[in-house]
Amino acid sequence: MTCLDSAEEIERGLAGGSVLADRTRRAVLAATAVGLPLLAVSGCKGVGALATPPKPAPDVAVLRSAIAAEEVMIARYDAVIRRSARLARGLRPLRDEHLLHLAQLRSRLIVPLGRANAASASPSVSGRTLHEHEAAGHGSAGHGSAGPGAVPAGAAAISFLQAAERAAAADLLRKLAVASPSLAQLMASVAASETTHVAALSAARGAGRL
Amino acid sequence: MTGTTAPAAGAEVSALQAALAAEHAAVYGYGVVGAHLTGAALAAATSDWVAHQVARDSLEAMLRSSGTQPVAAAVAYRIPHPVRNSAGAMSLAVTLEDRVATAYLGLVALPATAIRELGARGVVAAAVRAASWRGKTVAFPGFVAGALSPARR
Repeated sequence: MTCLDSAEEIERGLAGGSVLADRTRRAVLAATAVGLPLLAVSGCKGVGALATPPKPAPDVAVLRSAIAAEEVMIARYDAVIRRSARLARGLRPLRDEHLLHLAQLRSRLIVPLGRANAASASPSVSGRTLHEHEAAGHGSAGHGSAGPGAVPAGAAAISFLQAAERAAAADLLRKLAVASPSLAQLMASVAASETTHVAALSAARGAGRL
Repeated sequence: MTGTTAPAAGAEVSALQAALAAEHAAVYGYGVVGAHLTGAALAAATSDWVAHQVARDSLEAMLRSSGTQPVAAAVAYRIPHPVRNSAGAMSLAVTLEDRVATAYLGLVALPATAIRELGARGVVAAAVRAASWRGKTVAFPGFVAGALSPARR
């Protein structure tokens, strides 16, 4: 088997459609990009390289945890927004950025057909407008695993969200080393966005007092 | 930073040089920014200016320690839009920080963990400064505007 053969096999397997959920073309391209470095490691070193098969790309595990973290974060914001009209105005733009993070992360996850899981069970946020998101009550108790948990009321809600943003950013940065180059860039960018939310939340609390 | 003896790989050197070039531009640009600000805004610009000088020195030391000549600052830079007042100055600061964030994001795609982390720290720091000048946050700091936004309607 030559390197070219295996490259074609990977291309066929990814683009054949039978193993892929209905995902965007970008996701297919991203998967190809993930597949090719593996090929470079394993495919071109001859039979000897087969003794130590490459580990599966850890991107899937990293992606799933990043997606779950965004879902929890959105649910927390939604809980505060529903409870406090005073804070909602300042919080919605930040919550909306998390919706963008979530859509971007989900678009990079290839879900095999017939596999029921969190990523395929809920409709893609990117396919809906943000207003539809709110009208649909996304993040309410019915959303399953991504519940907000106990979110404190009043001014404590802001400190709670700030701590959550810091923790989420730190978690993404801790996992940078195991992600593919492209996912690592997305994770660093999302972590940066979440870090900027900390100061923005302070401003939202100030505005809420008026 | 971590006592690298072997010359850094080509991709690493060019990404570090790109980050350094962005820091050079920011150091120059904040001079223009500060000239149009007063009070607390001037203090913030001065603090950010110093942060870029520190980052620049650190990148230069890193490149030298790996046997590479760091890129030099240009004598002057073309300012992307005329700066005549404080609003223009703040807008320039946003542009400078966005470009710095993009340059550091390039480091995050490299294989070495220490380089990735250096890049991520750079993206986060630039994003925080940019958000403060912009007066609002963005979803994907470091990515060129619109590159990752889903098509609306």
